[in-house]
Amino acid sequence: MRRVIERFGAIVLSGLDWVGGLTSLALRSSAVGPRRPFGVDDIASQMVEQGVRSLPITSFMSLFIGMILAVQFGWALADFGATMALGDASSLALVRELVPTLIALTVGAKMAAGMAAELGSMKVTEQIDAVAALGADPIKKLVWPRLVAATLATPLLVAWGNIMALIGGMLIGDWVYAVPAGYFYETYVDELAPIDYIQSLVKGVIFGYLVGLIGCYQGFSTKFGTEAVGVSTMETVVATSICVIIADFYLTMIFL
Amino acid sequence: MSDTSPAPAAPVIEFLGVTKTFGDHTVYEDMDLQVRRGETLTIIGGSGQGKSVCLKMMIGLLQADGGQVKVDGNVVGEQGPEGLRTIRQRVAYVFQGGALFDSMTVLDNIGYALREHTDMGDEAIYDKARACVEMVGLPERVLQSLPASLSGGMRKRVALARSIAIEPEVILYDEPTTGLDPKNINRISAMIMKLQRELDVTSVVVTHDMPTARKVSDRIAMLYEKQFPFVGSAEEMWHSPKREVRDFIHGTLREAEARHGA
Ligand SMILES: Nc1ncnc2c1ncn2[C@@H]1O[C@H](COP(=O)(O)OP(=O)(O)O)[C@@H](O)[C@H]1O
Ligand SMILES: [Mg+2]
Repeated sequence: MRRVIERFGAIVLSGLDWVGGLTSLALRSSAVGPRRPFGVDDIASQMVEQGVRSLPITSFMSLFIGMILAVQFGWALADFGATMALGDASSLALVRELVPTLIALTVGAKMAAGMAAELGSMKVTEQIDAVAALGADPIKKLVWPRLVAATLATPLLVAWGNIMALIGGMLIGDWVYAVPAGYFYETYVDELAPIDYIQSLVKGVIFGYLVGLIGCYQGFSTKFGTEAVGVSTMETVVATSICVIIADFYLTMIFL
Repeated sequence: MSDTSPAPAAPVIEFLGVTKTFGDHTVYEDMDLQVRRGETLTIIGGSGQGKSVCLKMMIGLLQADGGQVKVDGNVVGEQGPEGLRTIRQRVAYVFQGGALFDSMTVLDNIGYALREHTDMGDEAIYDKARACVEMVGLPERVLQSLPASLSGGMRKRVALARSIAIEPEVILYDEPTTGLDPKNINRISAMIMKLQRELDVTSVVVTHDMPTARKVSDRIAMLYEKQFPFVGSAEEMWHSPKREVRDFIHGTLREAEARHGA
């Protein structure tokens, strides 16, 4: 029993330690980031790296999420002879919840893991020390552009994902349940208030910030050796998923 | 580049009672060391004993937990970002594996510190970078290459070129010859001596290779049990009666024999 409590205590402590480190990185990056030079070039190339490269998977995922949800709802609605309500039924769940969260869990985790691997290998080959030794600030040079790019790219991907999910729903409505695409579109969009779009994008912004922060923190805190890069990359995926889900819960509560 | 400091023996870098620990692992305990202006000091010690940590404390990449590290009389631990920048402009670091930025060309690698520390334009940076690669015996065309396309020996030389670009007063070399073949080892040690002569710098060379140490250094500092119990010339070291020094020399001789025998 005592062993169990000790183990649990150790886990809680290391978790707190991790959150502390993450918070400190967040504070330090907001202290050095928003100052001249803003590093627009670096931010732009990170946007391409993380945003544009993620477009195919975002499109694919969102299209299928829209299709799957339409199939499920259509099946339930058919019992009541209410398949024409397919658009109304799917829109809220997709826009408010499924698209931003699933994009953060997949595309976001991919971005974070990519950052952790890249920065982690820079860490073990002393390139991060080299940035400092050459007179620059590693947080400003390496963390800030990634953080900004992830925070901007994720809501854009979510917006795009929302369109793809709508298309996915339309396709299923039309093919499977004989709901005309135009009608599906109208009822879908009718159901959405501005606050729903805002919720979708705010989730995108916050998930994106978390993804960037966790990816960078994991990269910077990579231990010695090339194996360490693999370990910290794997931890990154887990940490990102957990943090996104927790953040999602809070954000959903706030918006309701 | 006239030197205004009075005595040639005035320390550029000084460790005073320095302690450094990582968690419950103590790397240095009450350690003292002085680097004199203009000399080449070699730090020699086994792997994992804290040689790199020592160099990193000199430019504030790691901070001492106790005691003081001073550069030109300024305590490194008390410097803000500006003070650290100034120290890093004067004290250059050549990392063990080179630590070249993979995603940048050799030109951008060498120009990195110039962009940080000066407002030189692209052309001036190119000229400076060309002069630096020539200084380390590489052709101008490597400027356009990516580090990954260069051999290990060439990468070490590019790393050297990168660190001399800002015209430092002190150059720290972390294991400059480790992992190189004998020809490249000779070339790099010759280069360290050449830079010493031509740029009039102070050098600190970390190595576990006794021949390199004997060849390039004015003084050798032996790292043993969290301190530097011996600091002196290669001659003095060779004839030192201290047990730890003798053990050390025999250990490295055996290592060298094993290498040549293989
Ligand atoms: N940033 C760090 N965090 C934790 N431990 C470190 C760190 N840097 C070095 N160490 C530890 O300090 C000791 C000395 O390391 P180092 O100076 O790299 O040895 P070497 O003499 O081979 O250069 C090693 O045991 C290493 O694990
Ligand atoms: Mg080392």
